[in-house]
Amino acid sequence: MKRRLLEKVTEGALLTAALVSVIAVAFITIFIFQSGLPLFRKVSLGEFLFSTNWAPTAKEPHYGIFSFIVGSFYVTGIALAIAVPVGLAAGIYLAELADRRTSRILRSAVELLASIPSVIYGLFGIAFLAPLVRNTLGGSGYSLISAALVLSIMTLPTIINVTEVTLRSVPRDLKEGSLALGATHWQTIIRVLLPAGRSGIITGVILGMGRAIGETMAVLMVGGNAAIMPKGLTGMVRTLTMNIITDMSYATGDHLTSLFATGIVLFVFILLLNISVQLFLKRSMAGAGRSANV
Amino acid sequence: MKKIIALGFALVVAASAFAQLSGNYTWGGSTTVGPIAEQALGQFQKDNPRIKASYELTGSGAGVKSLLAGQYSLAGSSAELSDDQIAQGAVATPIAMDGITIVVNQDIKVANISRANLAKVFHGDIASWKDLGGPDIRMVVVNRDEASGTYSSFYDIFMKSAYADKATAYTRNALVTKENGEVAAKVASTPGAIGYVGMGFAEEVLKAGGRELMIDGIAPTVANVIAKKYPGSRYLYIVTKGKPAAGSAEKAFIDFLLSPKGQAIVKSTDFIPLPKN
Repeated sequence: MKRRLLEKVTEGALLTAALVSVIAVAFITIFIFQSGLPLFRKVSLGEFLFSTNWAPTAKEPHYGIFSFIVGSFYVTGIALAIAVPVGLAAGIYLAELADRRTSRILRSAVELLASIPSVIYGLFGIAFLAPLVRNTLGGSGYSLISAALVLSIMTLPTIINVTEVTLRSVPRDLKEGSLALGATHWQTIIRVLLPAGRSGIITGVILGMGRAIGETMAVLMVGGNAAIMPKGLTGMVRTLTMNIITDMSYATGDHLTSLFATGIVLFVFILLLNISVQLFLKRSMAGAGRSANV
Repeated sequence: MKKIIALGFALVVAASAFAQLSGNYTWGGSTTVGPIAEQALGQFQKDNPRIKASYELTGSGAGVKSLLAGQYSLAGSSAELSDDQIAQGAVATPIAMDGITIVVNQDIKVANISRANLAKVFHGDIASWKDLGGPDIRMVVVNRDEASGTYSSFYDIFMKSAYADKATAYTRNALVTKENGEVAAKVASTPGAIGYVGMGFAEEVLKAGGRELMIDGIAPTVANVIAKKYPGSRYLYIVTKGKPAAGSAEKAFIDFLLSPKGQAIVKSTDFIPLPKN
């Protein structure tokens, strides 16, 4: 009897712990929507999303975040365009080509990269990337491309790690079968291992995308933060997260509400990303099941 | 008899303990006031070992907002209080003088700028330093975020007469930075850059080889600021909600700042002590 009770209590405690994160997500969702939605009584959703006029403290205030949405997508897109090929290559090298010692050293370097606080990345951006961009591409150096470069370095660890783990978990028989059929190691990697690990790798890329779109501090330090539509790679950029943090400390009234509404937009983007990962995984799992049956 | 002496002694101890200030305080606001507040707090906490206080660099606007919302019991501000803030009970005590200093990158060999041109620069009407008699380098305007008191005072002093609406006065094509220190760092490191900082931060730009500009031929010297000849002259304030109460840590801190010791700290951080009388 006593043992049963103990078991029940333990189970309850574990369940509560599991529920904490669910409750936290629920509360955050409710809070953000409750604080942000009232904006749309004053500003139409269309104007908020598609106007580039951000003048929250003007006599006749305007709340248009289109340039920040575009900024977020540009920065994230370019960051991934750089990070994905590099990350894939590094992941393949770690999983397949590097000898034990090398891969151990490289792996700890990647782990270190993942644990560096974003403000340090920002300082690195100010001290190194901004002058580099200024001297090679022109402009002030505080630009879209600087922000994207910083983000690409920050998302590398995620992509490398996931790629490596995925490739390592591909069943040995696939690799051995391919080699036995006379394929070279490189052909095996490209034609067998990568396709087999596709779903894992894409999940890694999307996780990296989530990190990039939500990153604040590092891009704030190198992006320039001007509330304008980015003009080319060397133009200044303000992303959704930068917009929130720049104004949060002093905003009041509708202005404050508009920042929460900006948060809703960011939240919805991240949610869509996550849902697409889930759907994708489900589909590719189903696909894998089918091909196994054949 | 012994008992009475012991009791008396205990009373004295209790009374002195009561008089000694104690507690934990979070204060904050203006980043211009930051260096003064941080140095002063160091000494103030040594003098009052039971007080633990910190000063957060959030900007004047954010500081006064937090003060009025009850999160701070004392805020630093580099801008005069607005009528709205005064109506909500904010009281400002001047603690130092400052001259908003125009700083430029080292590659700009220009010594002087007119008030009219200064307003044009920050409105975004001047694209190249050539238009101001300098080299043909693209101008990079470094601005502050709207929480900044220096942003407000700069507007009030230099831009209000030309551009009546504050929200559209400044160009949008400018780097937006969150601290005086960040302006100094970015102006010092970016070719063609121009920005404005509290005079205590100009040193950082000068050390990196940058320059400070005269405005209409008047340099931001201590004498010019005190005489209010320099157009960027202004006061720095400590703001409390209501008059600082006697016996409170806030009152003690303000008194310390106004004391010769506190004013010496103002001077050591490259700001200007309040003129006597």
